[in-house]
Amino acid sequence: MLARCPSCRNTFSTDRTGRQDCPVCGKPLVVPEQGQRAAAPTAPQAELLPEPTGTPWERRAELGLVSAWAQTVQQALFEPSRLFAAARLDRGAAQLGFAVLTASVFAAIGQALGLLVRGQSEALVDRLAAQAQMPDSFRQMLHTTKQMNSPGWFVVSILLLPLVNFVFVYLNAAVTHAFALLLGQSKRGFAATFAACTYSWAPLVLLAVPGCGFIVGIVWLIVLTGVGLKVTHGIKPAGAAASVLAPYVIICCFACVSVALLGAALRNILEQR
Amino acid sequence: MSGKNNYFFSLARAGPPSVHALGLAVTGAALLAAAAVLPLDAPPLSLLACPLRAATGLPCLACGCTHAFHFMVRGEISAAVWSSPLGALLAAACAAHALWTVLRLLGLPYAPRFEPTRAARWAAALGLAANWVFLAVRA
Repeated sequence: MLARCPSCRNTFSTDRTGRQDCPVCGKPLVVPEQGQRAAAPTAPQAELLPEPTGTPWERRAELGLVSAWAQTVQQALFEPSRLFAAARLDRGAAQLGFAVLTASVFAAIGQALGLLVRGQSEALVDRLAAQAQMPDSFRQMLHTTKQMNSPGWFVVSILLLPLVNFVFVYLNAAVTHAFALLLGQSKRGFAATFAACTYSWAPLVLLAVPGCGFIVGIVWLIVLTGVGLKVTHGIKPAGAAASVLAPYVIICCFACVSVALLGAALRNILEQR
Repeated sequence: MSGKNNYFFSLARAGPPSVHALGLAVTGAALLAAAAVLPLDAPPLSLLACPLRAATGLPCLACGCTHAFHFMVRGEISAAVWSSPLGALLAAACAAHALWTVLRLLGLPYAPRFEPTRAARWAAALGLAANWVFLAVRA
């Protein structure tokens, strides 16, 4: 059930009634039974809030798998606040399934399409690798990319995709939650961060687009995670933005600088032509 | 140890691990397994050179974490700490959480509980800063 602390006014999820401490401010309170009020509470009484109805994906038993998935993606992309407000914090397994399924299926489609245009991408890699002024690490990366663009690697990567996505879902949620904790923005625990992080993987349907789909999907994912944190934790936009962007700024500079290096290499090629 | 919230760490009676506890344990175990299996000097790990350090000469906060995990799973704790104190701590936390989750699955009725008190948050921020200073000075 959802309860609101009478001292700090933050909402939190609890699975029991009675006397307990607010997980946000730590002050004692009493969570009453549904529809009852304690006769003589020994601590300020928490206010019970209605549970969210659940996202379409969390109601897939009644909506049907495909319809529930499609509605969830649609809401995540175009009505994210509504989706995150409906997310239930006790549906972690379902949320994990949504993220892993979406990313794995569309990454597989993207890799299959990439295999079809292999000749084109290999020619691009060869042109990039032929550049004289290039760091060795970048040249090695291009060489490895070319090696991994084969049918054998395609099969291996398809088999590994669910495990890799599973690990990345939890890594993403753990790092985001760690920074939310550090900045004092975690009001409703890891489950709330996890719900925000999993549904924000919906834009990874763009992984099906070879080349640019990954970059657009990741940027959209970051924005959605911020929206999700704001709604699921009930925090201010600045706090949500700081929690989401801090790890990317501090830790995940690798992808940004890789894109910059790729851009610089492409610019060199274009200037020479 | 206490159930009160004014302590950063406490042990509380708990039932079986939650979905998220299991998921994080699997993730931690997967990271440690990858560190045990993948060599540092071959792709994909050899491709993870820090571009921030290459561009500025300064390490990023996560610099050395791959090496720290690599050394921790081989029991070379001092080498791991030298590579990255943060990475060594994270690797130890992954192992501890995975082990504790297995024990809870086997019936241990206690779970660690961390309260993000103000003091704990400041300590964590200072710890991250100290880790970065250590990496910068060592570099």
